[in-house]
Amino acid sequence: MKIKTNILKNPHIQFIIFGIALALVPALASAGVIKSSYVTIIGGTLIYAIAALGFNILLGYSGLITLGTAGFMGLAAYISAYVTVNMKLPFEAALILAILIPTLIGILVGLVSLKIEGIYLAIATLCVSEILRKTFEELEFFTNGFSGKSASYPQLLGFLKLNKTTTYYLIVLVLIIIIMLTYNMMNGQLGRALNAMRGSEAASQAMGVNLLKYRLVAFALATIYASAAGVLYVHFIRFSYPSTWTLKLSLDFMAMVVIGGLRSIYGTVLGAFIVFAVPDMFLKEIPYFNQLSYVFNGVLIILVIMFYPNGLIYIGNDVKKLISKFKKKEDKYESRENAAG
Amino acid sequence: MSLEKMLPDNVVLEINNLSIAFGGLKAVDNLSFDIKENEVFGLIGPNGAGKTTVFNCITQFYKPNSGSILFNGNNGIVQNLLQHEVHEIINLGLVRTFQNVELIRELSIMDNVLIGAHIDFKANILQQALRLPKAVNEEKVLREEACRILSALGIHDRKDMITGGQPYGVLKKVELARALMCRPKLIILDEPAAGLNDTETIQLSNTIRHIRDEFKCSILLVEHDMRLVMDVCDRICAISFGKFLAMGTAKEIQQNKDVQAAYLGTDGDE
Repeated sequence: MKIKTNILKNPHIQFIIFGIALALVPALASAGVIKSSYVTIIGGTLIYAIAALGFNILLGYSGLITLGTAGFMGLAAYISAYVTVNMKLPFEAALILAILIPTLIGILVGLVSLKIEGIYLAIATLCVSEILRKTFEELEFFTNGFSGKSASYPQLLGFLKLNKTTTYYLIVLVLIIIIMLTYNMMNGQLGRALNAMRGSEAASQAMGVNLLKYRLVAFALATIYASAAGVLYVHFIRFSYPSTWTLKLSLDFMAMVVIGGLRSIYGTVLGAFIVFAVPDMFLKEIPYFNQLSYVFNGVLIILVIMFYPNGLIYIGNDVKKLISKFKKKEDKYESRENAAG
Repeated sequence: MSLEKMLPDNVVLEINNLSIAFGGLKAVDNLSFDIKENEVFGLIGPNGAGKTTVFNCITQFYKPNSGSILFNGNNGIVQNLLQHEVHEIINLGLVRTFQNVELIRELSIMDNVLIGAHIDFKANILQQALRLPKAVNEEKVLREEACRILSALGIHDRKDMITGGQPYGVLKKVELARALMCRPKLIILDEPAAGLNDTETIQLSNTIRHIRDEFKCSILLVEHDMRLVMDVCDRICAISFGKFLAMGTAKEIQQNKDVQAAYLGTDGDE
């Protein structure tokens, strides 16, 4: 019995269980328990969660503010669509190219980050993102301009043609792998070095942390995650418009990370659900107010920031504390009653 | 610069004719001293004497205008520190603490100490991400090492607590533990007694001696608190306005006319 609970406490096992739970969504939808449109909404949310994990590495662990995530995600989406549709290359080749090219640009931004910091870095990355977005609008042979670029569900290894449900499974698989890798990296030397860099540049340098190396690593990881998310997006939603990859999306990533919890993996996923899935799945259901669902979301974000500045993921801990407090009180009463009896 | 010149056998750090100017202000002017093995060496001076500047020159946060800083490193090779980057200094076995404790508040004490072992992790990022045996073993060995150091400093029972909100004395010890993780030959302490009360300062002088004896290293102390300096230092160097004033034991320094004048002023000043 004890061994069983120990296994359940292993974070990697927990991640796998989490993945299996997410993978049940299409089955629930086909069984009629939840609406079939939820598969698309949750799948999209998980894709955004992947990019948000990268954003968390930058903002949460390394303390670097960037507003370029949407641009990189869009670039990867367009590259993947172009390579599979126009160049007729296999999905795997598209995946590699769509991760490699944005990551190289991301590393260049990392180089810039050594010179500028804080709000200035945010503005510089925003400019990179806006340049990319403008490119998506104008470079018609590559992106098909305002009318949008379409792509198909991925075809793995040249013969395994996926449909909507199997693509959803692919998304869950990628998310869980990325969660596990992130967990390992952030709880080891790399994570501590990034934390040290955020805490104090002078101290981290004195401890032998090479700032250039770790800034570049942080930007490379964040861009790889954003690119992977972009590729999954274009092959799951099967459409990419320039209007998707705007500043609003980058700000949404920031909202996800801040609401869910800085430096928290589950928090990031939770944040993605609150920002993307909650308005579509629940708030739109409220009669008369369905047009205002995003307004509710804004109110929700303000409330979270006011009352849970560390992120909503810690609400669980607080509830536990409250329950244990309550239990203690009950115990006291009981023991008193026993003593009296 | 040639390194033909060898250091005498028991010298760890030798500073020769160090000068640095900020604009027209000569913060450090032609300063020379050396630190021997297993020695607690104090660097004192009134406010604005340039103590912290000397400190930052040694650790390469500032690049001096002239002079040399020779260090007999971990590998037994004498190095001129000026040829190294800030983050490379720790590899040679020279590590520092900070005047205003520079720890990461959100991490546990254990994690903060492990940051001191940054250079000892040899597994690359991919090995860490996939949790290959090499990375796992390294982490285990260094965690045990951190436990040993925390026990030696008497704060092992707090190792899993979050660093933010701990008492100041504990934070100072955590910083010391972090510095000790790299098995240094020389630790530079920047005003370790700042912000400590009397009892904590007495504890600190015991800790400093304890560290020197148990971890076999030299300690350079940059300090305001005269009791601490006079109590633990084997030799003291006094500077004023960036210039060398006197060098000697605690007693010699206390009786030195120039040092008294620098601290208290001379009759002629008034």
